[in-house]
Amino acid sequence: MKKHGFGLLVGVVLGSLGLAQQRVTIDFWHSMGGVLGEATEALVKDFNAAQNRITVRSQFVGSYDEGLNKLQAALRAGGQGRPHVIQVYDIGARFMADSGAVIPLEDLARANNFDLSQFVPQPRNYYTVDGKLYGLAFNSSNPILYFNARALEEAGIPYRNTWSLADLETAARRLTVKDASGKTLRYGLSIPIDSWFVEQFSYNSGQFFCNNENGRKARATEVTFNNPAAVAFLDTWARLVREGVAANTGRNWADSQSLFAQGQAAIAIYSTASLTGVLRQVGNRFQVRTAFYPYLQERNGTAIGGAAVYLIRGFPEAETQAAWEFIRFLLRPEIQAKWIIGTGYFPVVRGVTELPSVRQAYVRQPNYTTAVRQLETSKVNNASAGCLMGGFTEIRQIVQSAIEEALRGKPAQQALSEAKGRADAVLARYNASVRQ
Amino acid sequence: MPSLPRWLARPLFYLALGVYAWLLILPLLSLLSASFRSEADLYTPGLWPPQPTLEAYREAVQKHPVGRYLLNSLLVSLSITLGVLFTSATLGYALARIRFAGQKLLFGFVVAVLLIPDEVTFLPRYLLVQQLGWINSYAALIVPFLASPLGIFLLRQFLKSLPQDLFDAARIDGAGHLRTLWHVALPLAAPALGALGALSFLGAWNMYLWPLVVVNQNQMKTAQVAIAQVQSVEVSSWNVVAAVAILVLLPTLLAFLLAQRTFIRGIALGGLKG
Amino acid sequence: MATRRTPISRVPSHLKRGFLTRGEALEALWLVAPGVGLLLMFMVWPTLNAFCLSFHREDLLGREQVWVGLANYAELLRDSAFWRSVGATFAFATIVAPLQLLLGLLAALMVARPFPGVGLFRTLFFLTTAVPTAVAAIAWGWFLHPVGGSLNRWLEALGLPAQPWLTSPELALPTLAVVTAWAGVGFTAILLTAGLQQIPEDLYEAARIDGANAWTQFWRITLPLLSPTLFLVGLLTLLSSLTAFGQIHLLTRGGPMESTTVWVYRLYQDAFFNFRFTYAAAQAVVLFLVLLLLAALQFRLLGGKVHYA
Repeated sequence: MKKHGFGLLVGVVLGSLGLAQQRVTIDFWHSMGGVLGEATEALVKDFNAAQNRITVRSQFVGSYDEGLNKLQAALRAGGQGRPHVIQVYDIGARFMADSGAVIPLEDLARANNFDLSQFVPQPRNYYTVDGKLYGLAFNSSNPILYFNARALEEAGIPYRNTWSLADLETAARRLTVKDASGKTLRYGLSIPIDSWFVEQFSYNSGQFFCNNENGRKARATEVTFNNPAAVAFLDTWARLVREGVAANTGRNWADSQSLFAQGQAAIAIYSTASLTGVLRQVGNRFQVRTAFYPYLQERNGTAIGGAAVYLIRGFPEAETQAAWEFIRFLLRPEIQAKWIIGTGYFPVVRGVTELPSVRQAYVRQPNYTTAVRQLETSKVNNASAGCLMGGFTEIRQIVQSAIEEALRGKPAQQALSEAKGRADAVLARYNASVRQ
Repeated sequence: MPSLPRWLARPLFYLALGVYAWLLILPLLSLLSASFRSEADLYTPGLWPPQPTLEAYREAVQKHPVGRYLLNSLLVSLSITLGVLFTSATLGYALARIRFAGQKLLFGFVVAVLLIPDEVTFLPRYLLVQQLGWINSYAALIVPFLASPLGIFLLRQFLKSLPQDLFDAARIDGAGHLRTLWHVALPLAAPALGALGALSFLGAWNMYLWPLVVVNQNQMKTAQVAIAQVQSVEVSSWNVVAAVAILVLLPTLLAFLLAQRTFIRGIALGGLKG
Repeated sequence: MATRRTPISRVPSHLKRGFLTRGEALEALWLVAPGVGLLLMFMVWPTLNAFCLSFHREDLLGREQVWVGLANYAELLRDSAFWRSVGATFAFATIVAPLQLLLGLLAALMVARPFPGVGLFRTLFFLTTAVPTAVAAIAWGWFLHPVGGSLNRWLEALGLPAQPWLTSPELALPTLAVVTAWAGVGFTAILLTAGLQQIPEDLYEAARIDGANAWTQFWRITLPLLSPTLFLVGLLTLLSSLTAFGQIHLLTRGGPMESTTVWVYRLYQDAFFNFRFTYAAAQAVVLFLVLLLLAALQFRLLGGKVHYA
């Protein structure tokens, strides 16, 4: 009996030692650079410090495109080297669901009795594919307007929260400063060349970017980015660029941000996620104010942008469970609070904005509330759910080329319609490759 | 065209030299200047930084494993260089100094491979390396480049041009091919090997596309690819990007300044990879 | 060549004929095997595989390849994006090659003959050889930066308008070509300096005695005698500019308006971002055929040179 008890004791001790030593390590690939990267690494550090069973090994894998490409490469190699958790941008949602490589978040949530109604509806809608939630909207953003408050004041333009495209154009013209020779000294507006802004303008004006109601009712088979809102937006943008009212700094957001931060552009359009970086760059040169994204006739609401994290299939149960623990950690209100204060993204679970730390931060820097309020006041429908389709990476390139063509003089309608032909071919090819 | 008087021609010549040299190194000077600026001074006009500071270097080294990147590059470049020297010397010797059946065919093969552009093979080579499980390893960065058809070709040509009696003497003494290679061919080929080594090193150090696709873990990145990484992380902190670029430039720059002759000979000899 | 052959009557007969004993055969095998093995594995096999891949098509994740014959090539012929990239590639190369040759020749002419301080200027002119492509791209990226770039500042100081160097579809490709030519100046200058130094000094002596000035000497002596080297170097430059990648990846990412999406960049995009490995392989095969042609030409010239060096 005594002997047996001793054996049991040894067994328990060894067992607990064994458990203690069985630290699970999971890999997390993300694409957050700069300020956002620092905030992401801080979350991972917090998680690793908060418990001693799981170690998250995080890794910056370059741009979203590069991250997705590396995932694809790993899957091609039979899964060798794939991560447990990967951050993939918004437009990768269709691909991730089609790949079959992802454990839908909804399955895990149900298995672990996690209440899905805690999620804010828009991010949840965005990552819901064929009726099932696939990814956790880790960093959700929307596009907003940035104003140089001093320039607004000097020009006698009152600040407003909501801007139609026509209002924005008028303001941009008045804010433009040119010298005697007609050379622009300060631009009224600066928008980086990015398909995202055309997409969002479509949604915010109640239009779809791809057919079958943004691919939400059924798989999208055609793009609809030649819709009236997109055409009007691109038309105005191009006209302003040609007239020296809007700056064209190319596709690189950082270049446009430098221009804005140097006071050489009075209004700019970026993501909410750019806020921290922009504020840091501006320093105390002038005060920055932000407002909702513009629309054509009636404001519908923007879709979320940013990225989601997905759990990759095929790992031992213990590792998948560990990955889920990490996801749960990211969803905790206090962690969400820390994340959004550090970055300018908005929370994806309810109740975070009522936390004292968040309230204080919002009082200190009211610009951070713009995105949240824009989200809260957005209509929840298939337009603001955002377009879900495959081949989006390639299609964005096509749209960006169309923007560039329009900026140098091709009529927006023509540029977008021609681009539609190319984009439809890409989409058709993608859909065919899924059905194989 | 009337010739200029001598007292004028000289200074004008030096002036032209100076202006041209200045224009050529201007982009580098502008980079150097950016690396010594704080973020606040980044856009202040002028080539000279208003308040020179090491802030950008400090931030570069603290936030990015620049040392590790450089070590990776050094390890990869040195390994490739040694490998190329080895395979070029051995195969070059065999092709130049041993007669065996199929030798002509083998030489033809080397020449044919020499004509295969890297950009064609990199896709399937990537698949191969992936199947071997080498993604994110030094093996992926090094092994595919250990044999260089150009190196083999150059060494073969060089060894072939050496006088036969040097080799005959060795063979009469009873030396086998390995010893002849080691004691006769290699010492004689030292200048060619040095030049080939410099050429290989530069080529390996400059590799961009290949490391970009076979490595995605930060700690395995080579310095060249790391520059792209730093650029995408730092977004608008050009001073930090510039500091990293200068740090990556320094090793080759120093090597070039110290062993300029060898580098020049290497480029003049092979001069294939620009 | 003939002068190098020495009488070998003293050598034992089996050595004279050069055939191998068994031990020597083993030695020879050791010498040949590593090099040949590596070449077969990492050059020959991938090349053959590129052809093979180009006849297949894949699913979403690049698995399950299906034989499709020439379908990829047929699509390539109809693909306007591909043809645009071909156009961009050749436009790029036709700017880089002459420009780099010209800049390199200018440098070489200045430093080929010794004068006090020649060492310093050679170092400066050859310096770009030591600048890795990625560093060159960053240096120029900053030099041409729309907000902080020095070049636009100086243009404006001179009363000239600032230019959207890398952001306008018209300017981006020529700008990249200048960056590329700049990075290659050292390389070209080294090769051309070597070429110039091989021109016998007494030809110039004779010309001077005949009263020819520097200009005439250049056109009558330097250029004709340098032309084989110029041709070879030009071809080398052309070949390397046809496969430019790093500077494009760092500076323009193929934009604006895909104006800088050259061949290799297109291939990289299709393979790694559009997930079309087999289609990219078909492009690689086409690229292969074009480069092979040029490389064969270059090899004939280079082969001749090295042979008699």
